[in-house]
Amino acid sequence: MNRTSPPVKALQYLALAAYILFLGFPLLWLVSASIKSSQELAALDMSLLPKQFHWDNYAVALQKQGLTRSAVNSLVVSLLSMVFVVLLSMPAAYALARFKGRLRAVGVGWILVSQVFPVILIIIPLFIILRDVRLVDTLLGLVLVYTTFTMPFALWMLQGFVAAIPTDLEEAAAIDGASRFQTLRRIVFPLLMPGIVATAMFAFVAAWNEFFFALVLIQSPENYTLPVALKMFVGGEGKVALGPLAAGAVLATIPSLVVFSILQRRLTGGLLAGSVKG
Amino acid sequence: MGTRRLALAGAALAAVLLAACSQGSATNPDAGAGGTGAGGSVTLKFQSLQDQPAAVEAVKGIVDSWNSAHPETKVELIQAGWDGIYDKLVTQFNGNAAPDIIHYEAASIVPFARDGYLADLTSKVPAELKSDISDGIWKSVTVDNKVIAMPTELQTYVVFANKKLLEASGATVPTGDSMTLEQFRALAKATTKDGKFGLAWGLKSPTATFMSLALTSGGTFFSGTGKEAKINVGAGELAVPKLVKDMAYTDKSIDPVSLTQSGSQALASFYAGKAAMTVQGSFQAANIKKDAPAGLDWVELPPLSGSQGTAQAANPQTLSVNADSPNADKAAEFVAYFANAENMAKLNQADALIPASKKAQDLILSSTGGKDGWDMTMKSAQGLTGAPFLAVDAYTQWKDTIATPSFQKYLANQIDDAGLTQALTEGFTQVNR
Repeated sequence: MNRTSPPVKALQYLALAAYILFLGFPLLWLVSASIKSSQELAALDMSLLPKQFHWDNYAVALQKQGLTRSAVNSLVVSLLSMVFVVLLSMPAAYALARFKGRLRAVGVGWILVSQVFPVILIIIPLFIILRDVRLVDTLLGLVLVYTTFTMPFALWMLQGFVAAIPTDLEEAAAIDGASRFQTLRRIVFPLLMPGIVATAMFAFVAAWNEFFFALVLIQSPENYTLPVALKMFVGGEGKVALGPLAAGAVLATIPSLVVFSILQRRLTGGLLAGSVKG
Repeated sequence: MGTRRLALAGAALAAVLLAACSQGSATNPDAGAGGTGAGGSVTLKFQSLQDQPAAVEAVKGIVDSWNSAHPETKVELIQAGWDGIYDKLVTQFNGNAAPDIIHYEAASIVPFARDGYLADLTSKVPAELKSDISDGIWKSVTVDNKVIAMPTELQTYVVFANKKLLEASGATVPTGDSMTLEQFRALAKATTKDGKFGLAWGLKSPTATFMSLALTSGGTFFSGTGKEAKINVGAGELAVPKLVKDMAYTDKSIDPVSLTQSGSQALASFYAGKAAMTVQGSFQAANIKKDAPAGLDWVELPPLSGSQGTAQAANPQTLSVNADSPNADKAAEFVAYFANAENMAKLNQADALIPASKKAQDLILSSTGGKDGWDMTMKSAQGLTGAPFLAVDAYTQWKDTIATPSFQKYLANQIDDAGLTQALTEGFTQVNR
């Protein structure tokens, strides 16, 4: 038995606590800023704990910039993009990982090439295409754009997970009489679940945080997504409504935390351990 | 079984979201300019960038009053933000989807005018309004002899002072119509004592401040327009940067940390009584009034003046009309209505900015009694004039890639006057190729 000595264990916990503090401190500061008055935020002596709790920032964030509506828009767009990306990339990733023909080379080439173009280069043609099919200023248009631009990386990511599943397992299933579809559904899909969840999280976050496409493609305030609505707290002449912005940012993190907490339970690795002898 | 349930749940979720999505889509299927509806009624789309709650309300009020008085020409207000607006406008104009009325600022709207996207408002400005706004401000929105935008809100750079600290140092609080750069320097020196600095000046992004205040000493930086513009960095252009450097390194009267901060960040040491004065955009008077500690007795000092008086660059916020709007004339009518003295006074007071027209300035002075710095702010507004940099195509690129880092190095004492002159001049030649 290799037991860790108490001092080493204490140091490990200390390092872990420091790491958590390092990760969590900006969030704590954000929460703190969201409940401070503008006087306190403008003061020279700063503290993590507010001198007085100032909840008005949340009221301003929710009422003035239509944050609730923007949050619903963001949630709809992000969840749909996530579903589309996962549904489309699963079969494509399997094909990329398993079939070693010319198509694979073309597919990989497409993935890499699609990552090369800066968004600023394609935004005007994209805008014109979407305008012609009446999808400018629509959430559906945004979903299609996010799906298109997230797909290549999601595909690349997911095909790595597929490649990690030994083909021996599929062959064993075939020997036992399973059809290709049964093999996929009963063997590959469950083993691929951590990869699917990771891809889904990636697609969700990419859509949730995206600003530029939403800024340019969405014209009406009722269709704004959260990043666009939050940016409206930053004004001209360097004016920033820091308190309401912090409050809005805190509120904006809640839906993504909920989605993550639901998905992360399925993000378990090690399912393949011992599945193939040797 | 679990997999099937998950798939079913996913499909149901996607269906619900798609329904929600198409509901959102139905609200506004058409982007871009408004149009003419049944019965000849016109809808104008007005993209506003107002960000302060009071100013947003003021604009809503103006639009509502127009809509009540003009039932045949409805204005639809579209609230957008400043961040990324240049890219948004580029796409909107290229995609033929720009709104009828566009809110922006003179320095950034000029390229759109040069590309022919903005309507000529020269003949649409009411004569009374035309004569009520100074030629210098009109110059800032004139391209190729055409007025391409209505100037609405402006700012100047002004000095705020802690009255108690000034008086404790034995200095007299300046009054009058102006304060010379030498007086300002002496005041900062006199108030630097007991661990307190005379001045906190947020110069993290110093270019706009230096370009504007250079005019007090006759520093124009540029001559000519468009691609033909030439740069000239001489004594007038260097007067204010040199003043700051001398105050920071010779007099040690400027809080050195503030030179690396934004204007808003530099206010913190002013609030804390660690600096007797601070140079800020005039709009900060409203923030100081709101955020300063109760005991802080503050005052706005007379406008800074150099060898050429109190001149500062006018870079107004603007309203322009989309040249491709099917209702450009109606849009121009609304712009003229928006810019009337009463509306401008209401909006600028809400936004703590300076209206372009003298009549609107007088209305603000009369309603505020000149309190909270408005008297000095309006005095500083008398010096607003067109700045040559507004007509230089490569100005924005030069500002971001050459001028700002060069000024920062200069303020950090890494380069001298000659080094700064060389960096600014050669850098402009590069970006203007």
